[in-house]
Amino acid sequence: MIRLEQVSLRAGTFRLTDVSLEVPAGGYALVIGPTGCGKTSLLEAIAGHVPVTTGRIFLQDRDVTSVPPEARRIGFVYQAYHLFPHLSVRANISYGLKDDPAAGRRVEELATMLGIAPLLDRSPRGLSGGEQQRIALARALAPRPAVLLLDEPFAAVDPAMRRMLRRELQDIREREGVTILHVTHDVDDALRLGDLIAVLGNGRIAQAGPPEEVFRYPESAFVADFLGAGTVLKGTLTRTGEREKTTRRFPARFESGGLQLEVIAEREGGAYAVIRPEDVLVSRQPFPDYPRNRFAATVHRVERLGPVANVHLDASGQRLMAAITAATVDTLALRPGDAVSIAIKATAVHLI
Amino acid sequence: MESIASAQQTGLSLGVARSSPGFGLLGAFLGALLVLFIIGPILRLLWASDPATLAAAAGDPEIRAAIVLTVLTASVATGMAVLLGAPLGYLLARRQFPGRTLLRGVLDLPVMIPHPVAGIALLLFLGRHSPVGGALAAMGLEVVSHVPGIIAAMLFVSAPLVVSGSREAFASVDPTLERVARTLGDTPWQAFRRITLPLAGRGIVTGALLAWGRSVSEFGAIVILTYHPKVASVLIFDRFTLSGLPGAVPAATLLLLVALAVFILLRILEPPAERAR
Repeated sequence: MIRLEQVSLRAGTFRLTDVSLEVPAGGYALVIGPTGCGKTSLLEAIAGHVPVTTGRIFLQDRDVTSVPPEARRIGFVYQAYHLFPHLSVRANISYGLKDDPAAGRRVEELATMLGIAPLLDRSPRGLSGGEQQRIALARALAPRPAVLLLDEPFAAVDPAMRRMLRRELQDIREREGVTILHVTHDVDDALRLGDLIAVLGNGRIAQAGPPEEVFRYPESAFVADFLGAGTVLKGTLTRTGEREKTTRRFPARFESGGLQLEVIAEREGGAYAVIRPEDVLVSRQPFPDYPRNRFAATVHRVERLGPVANVHLDASGQRLMAAITAATVDTLALRPGDAVSIAIKATAVHLI
Repeated sequence: MESIASAQQTGLSLGVARSSPGFGLLGAFLGALLVLFIIGPILRLLWASDPATLAAAAGDPEIRAAIVLTVLTASVATGMAVLLGAPLGYLLARRQFPGRTLLRGVLDLPVMIPHPVAGIALLLFLGRHSPVGGALAAMGLEVVSHVPGIIAAMLFVSAPLVVSGSREAFASVDPTLERVARTLGDTPWQAFRRITLPLAGRGIVTGALLAWGRSVSEFGAIVILTYHPKVASVLIFDRFTLSGLPGAVPAATLLLLVALAVFILLRILEPPAERAR
């Protein structure tokens, strides 16, 4: 279990303010944010390398705020791995086991699990990024830490290796029962790995929660924009109908440039609308089932990403993006410049 | 303007030539001249004495005493320089503190000062009539004209080499490696002993070797501080002024052989190269 209570710190040019976060025992949390937002400083504070100015840090219900790093039972994998160059792979992995009589067996077990057993008697010099990564992981896991801190662990590996490591990290969490806090700037990692994500921006946690929820309901334009949750439109809300008694919500019109959307709103005035690409429907014919939020649009660009494709559209001067299957793109024979009909469900427009 | 333009053009053409074999050949030729200039005199000196003369010199009690004294005092001075200077090198590499740049400048001073000047400064500082020299004499430690004077002169001129060598060595060890060791359960001292010291070790040893060589070769400061007992360099100078080359050459050759032997031995014993990054 990792619990941060209003942690503030300053490390060099980085500053974190009032960071509160709780990762349950055995949980996998991702801290995601733009490069240079202080993510590494946060990990170093949890590890005890960087002192906090205010707030408390709890690990396994123990207040470790003033405990030195060596007594925190933490595994830390740095982005650049930082293997000890003067020690063999085996000595690197067993480093934290000191005089443990079972050290040999533990090293073999981890090396087998991570597929690095043939490297044990080599020097870490000259090994590939993926190999070094696994050695660093095995070294951090060897003393059975309660908490594993990962700093951009996929930054230097190719996409195939990245997919493999993602699976392995999930396995490791289950086998070792370790609580993982993983720092990344990659939205994909956040969606695929975490049971909890926290978006860090300007030294604060902008939003935290289960990944689907944060993606579905970003609480600020910064989060929506950073996560690429969809097209973020800036506009104004005008009430068009009666306020509903229980939900206090009302039908409204959202206007942004030449685009008008019928939406369900809670307030009037300036607002951001987030439209997720998968909620934008594309067709050659007008949508008879959608009396509202139907638009004529022009295909600007088709971006194929394997089985899905992002279709960039121009609707009344506003850029929108629709995510549809590659098969649909072929069926509709979409080409730049084509005129199409698009439709957006009123409930799919997320207002901030 | 024209000259600048042509200079730039020359620079440009040199840049192009860098990848051509001609540039490599030119560099090799110039470098070979310098290497010959260094090796030539050394070989000439080694060849200057026949084995019988060298054996006779090795049997000369005065020469033997001088060489033994030189090796011992240089070793003590180097040991002291490492003991006092390596921790300072660590602080200069790792810690921020006021006056750090000034301190680095001060530590470079002995390299800039002509050695007889250093000897005179040490004589004023450590002489019997100075506060420091007087206090040491009161404790029974005679410096000037005694062995400690030789060691003091050697330490003064060679310690900066140990400090800068170990400073660079410690600076080349990524502090994140220590952080990793800490999370793996090491106390700061254990992390230093298991990670930093082994990785910086070679650099510190290199600094110490340079300091030892510098101590063995010292003349200017020693001759002013402690003429007697004579270290090898003082004895060789003595013989040269008394009886010219024939008197000086055998002792010079012997000292050269001893210094070379020690250097080669230490290079062999040195731990294998470690790159800290």
